[in-house]
Amino acid sequence: MSTEQAQPAVAVDELILETEAAKGTTTGIPGRERGERIRRAIAYVVMFGVALLFAIPFLWSVSTSFRTLADTVGSFSLLPKHWTLSGYREAFHTFNFGKYTLNSFIIAGAVTLSNLFLASLGGYAFARLKFPGREVLFLLVLGTLMIPDQLRLVPIYLMLVNWIPAWVGHLGWHNASFVNREGLILIQLVSATSLFLMRQYFLTIPRDLEEAAKLDGAGYFKTYWKVMLPLAGPALAAVGILMFQGTWNGLFWPAILLQDPNQYTIPIGIAHFRFAYTTLWPPLMAASVLAILPILLLFVVFQRYFVAGVAAAGVKG
Amino acid sequence: MRKRLMVPALLAVVLVASVLAAGSQAKTDRSKAPAAPSGTVTLNGWQVSPAEETKLSKVVADFERTHPNIKVNYQSITGDYQAQELAKFAAHKPPDVLYVDVADFVDWAKQGVLQNLDPYVKSSHFSTKPFYKNLLNAFKYRGHYYGFPKDWSSLGMEVNTTLLGNNPVPKTWAQLRSVASRINVPGGKPICLSADWARLMAFVYQAGGTGQWKDATTAPFRAAANFYVGLLKSGLAALPSDLGSSWCGEAFGKQKVAFAFEGNWMFPTMASFPGVKFTTAPMPKGKRHGNLAFTVSYSMAKDSKNKPAAWELLKYLVGRQGMQQWVSLGLALPTRVDVHAVPGRGAFLRYPSSVHGWGAQAGFRHIWNDVANNELTAVIAGKESVNSMLQKIAASAR
Amino acid sequence: MAVAVGKRRQARGLGGERVREALVGYGFIALPMAFFLLFFIFPIGYAFYISRYDWQIFKGPYVGWGNYRALYHDSVFWTHAVRNTLVYAAFVVPLQMALGLTLAVVVNQAIRFRTFFRAAFYFPSLAASAAIAAIATYILASDGLFNTILHHLGYTHTHAWFDQETTALPAIIGLNAWTTSGTIMLFYLAALQAIPTDVYEAAAIDGANAWRTFWKITFPLLKPGHFFVLVVSIIGALQMFDQSFLIGGASGGPNYSTLTVVLYLYNQAIGNIKFGYGAAVGVVLFAFIFTVTVIQRLLFGKAEVA
Repeated sequence: MSTEQAQPAVAVDELILETEAAKGTTTGIPGRERGERIRRAIAYVVMFGVALLFAIPFLWSVSTSFRTLADTVGSFSLLPKHWTLSGYREAFHTFNFGKYTLNSFIIAGAVTLSNLFLASLGGYAFARLKFPGREVLFLLVLGTLMIPDQLRLVPIYLMLVNWIPAWVGHLGWHNASFVNREGLILIQLVSATSLFLMRQYFLTIPRDLEEAAKLDGAGYFKTYWKVMLPLAGPALAAVGILMFQGTWNGLFWPAILLQDPNQYTIPIGIAHFRFAYTTLWPPLMAASVLAILPILLLFVVFQRYFVAGVAAAGVKG
Repeated sequence: MRKRLMVPALLAVVLVASVLAAGSQAKTDRSKAPAAPSGTVTLNGWQVSPAEETKLSKVVADFERTHPNIKVNYQSITGDYQAQELAKFAAHKPPDVLYVDVADFVDWAKQGVLQNLDPYVKSSHFSTKPFYKNLLNAFKYRGHYYGFPKDWSSLGMEVNTTLLGNNPVPKTWAQLRSVASRINVPGGKPICLSADWARLMAFVYQAGGTGQWKDATTAPFRAAANFYVGLLKSGLAALPSDLGSSWCGEAFGKQKVAFAFEGNWMFPTMASFPGVKFTTAPMPKGKRHGNLAFTVSYSMAKDSKNKPAAWELLKYLVGRQGMQQWVSLGLALPTRVDVHAVPGRGAFLRYPSSVHGWGAQAGFRHIWNDVANNELTAVIAGKESVNSMLQKIAASAR
Repeated sequence: MAVAVGKRRQARGLGGERVREALVGYGFIALPMAFFLLFFIFPIGYAFYISRYDWQIFKGPYVGWGNYRALYHDSVFWTHAVRNTLVYAAFVVPLQMALGLTLAVVVNQAIRFRTFFRAAFYFPSLAASAAIAAIATYILASDGLFNTILHHLGYTHTHAWFDQETTALPAIIGLNAWTTSGTIMLFYLAALQAIPTDVYEAAAIDGANAWRTFWKITFPLLKPGHFFVLVVSIIGALQMFDQSFLIGGASGGPNYSTLTVVLYLYNQAIGNIKFGYGAAVGVVLFAFIFTVTVIQRLLFGKAEVA
């Protein structure tokens, strides 16, 4: 299910682009070709303009990260009046950027891996296996999307601080604490969006492959692991990107659950630059810029798979 | 014969035994001495500036040096402080010592999550005499101490001397209005006023009001609100957002206004705006002087697991030594008379008896944040009358 | 073909096979369901439980439906929180869907620098809420970049967009539609891949122009994509909190214009120290969103082939 093969042109008014198929065929009329070239040029200009518009805040962040603090409160200027690396130096100096990045990676990585496994397992079951109460249970899964984090704040905190340690205490694990990185990962092991996504995708995979596996004597898990999962590469990349990015940028739960500064994540570090009466923009922006790079990289690498993945997910929706 | 020896022998034994016992008792007494609490104490607070963060770490380090048996775990809370502390209270796992904003104090004390400090004050002979009475009382609940003020700030009137020109610094409401109408501020307005009761209330006190939400329909509230909103409506004042700023301090620094009403936190702020010539004056007088005290206490949580050690930390932080170090930053004012403020704060301290705590009422934060400020923005935008706003505020206080 | 095979399998399957499949099914979903039960269903149950008490920080006296009755009469809740939330959802959902769809169609072409464009359009979705809020406040200040540009275009706007009650919520709507459009773009991009190419070729042969092709062919064929995006967008929009909290100053101001249901829940629970009342708000919201989603599912009809 390659996404990189040329797509047929779906022209939207001012965008008329040649298809691979049409290349070199019938439009031999010179005037017409030139007209199309001009139209294409205009289209690109418009697109670059829009892209610039979308990128402006990011570009402004980059610009601010190279300014001095005085420069940020002064009159507006696109580029820094004096270029300086002081913002970056302060970001690294004030907080342990390296450690925070490591923590962010650990948490986002663990949450993503867990989601990939549990969401695909559950998604496959909801898509392909029959069991009583499946529809109701799936509605329950969707229902979890309708409960705001703010409502869950107190019960989850009580669970992590008191109830769960008490339960595992009965099992012999004493003095457990979940108000930390482990607890933060624990409460994000799987998300309903991921499961929903995987389910939609599995619904579109032709059954013949499963049938073939069955005839070969593969059990349910083997079918899932060896046949379905490899086919779900695109959907898995989709879940991977969404979950990694969401966890990486998260502030609500980390601010509450991470009490040891050694476990802080990047967003917490960034929040430390906002004070009641001042915001230290240069180091804040420097840290934000650095924080965006890993997810940007992840996106660029996986966006080819990502597209194909969510594609099928939406189809049967 | 034996009998005669027996008594002195017995006595000797008893004597020796009691000496030995006293000796070992003294040893155990020393280790069990109430003056040597130990363990780990968790401290929660928030940061108002990077300098404060560093300073507090220093003060805490000094404390640990003089109290080697106690380890302090300071956690600077990011995000919503109130939400996180309430969650901790609900779980009965709060920090041992924590900041309590005066706006939350009565509500938290009412919930029973704070520790009554009277017994500790008594047993360690902690003197409350050096503290300013108004501030001390702000953290009393039902007559008992539930916290001690760690520092405070009040409001003053910042004046841009360049824009003021030859005009005198106004001392009363009338003077403020007349001087403002004579001043021309290019690209701005004479006065910056925030759409916030945390400023308007000072004027209520100046009008002779009680500052209690339930009295919102009384004449002083009306007079103050009309004066405040009147300045905005007449064009003599503007909101910071209309001056391209997020708060009046920024507008003042950008020289968009000649007058602003902000507190001693303006000094570090103005450091980012060098070249602005300004002076600080006391708040203008209405019927009388009136000002607000923004203060925060160090309190102990009721569910603290290590109260003796927590008390040691608390005592030190609000003690003369700890506080002297803390206020040397010049960010906030000391709450004790025996600790000297950084020079230049005279304007804020000029009329100490006119200062009233910003808070100290039940439901304070809720009414301030959810009701009063929203109604005020409506009035300023011309969508509502002053009287209607005051009625709604008084109604929500009941 | 697949369906027929499936039916045959069912017919051949004895009770044993069906039972085994069911057991495996339960086994597969065991961990995810346990997780959802523990960290979502239990909290909503807890919320329902505490909403029946006068629960401040700790348990208070039992009040039955008292909190819900009070909520029913709570004018601030209905005239501001509910109204703003519905208005917000009504505008942001179509806006971000339209924006996302347009972008998707554009980057679906065999254009040059496609990866660059995809990344550029996805940028706003990549950044964290707090960063976006800070930048937006700066740009939409009374003397900020946005007003400066407007001024040069001839329209003078002297106020900060987030600080005027008439423009605060619209500004948030615009901001959120823009930041979410990237994610929507990706959802639609995918849905577009699933449309077979012959359809376009047939349309081209029939002489349909670009506009017609899009509206009469592409758009209807995207129906499944629309449904997925619509459900997820509405669920998210009805729970908007971040921007109101960060930008509106957590008071829902100016003049309640940025107060949403979740912000109201939060302020009642934390500011007013009424966990029980806040929980009641949460339960009511949950019930509402659930109903809306069920209705959506019914309206869109099609039972899924499983």
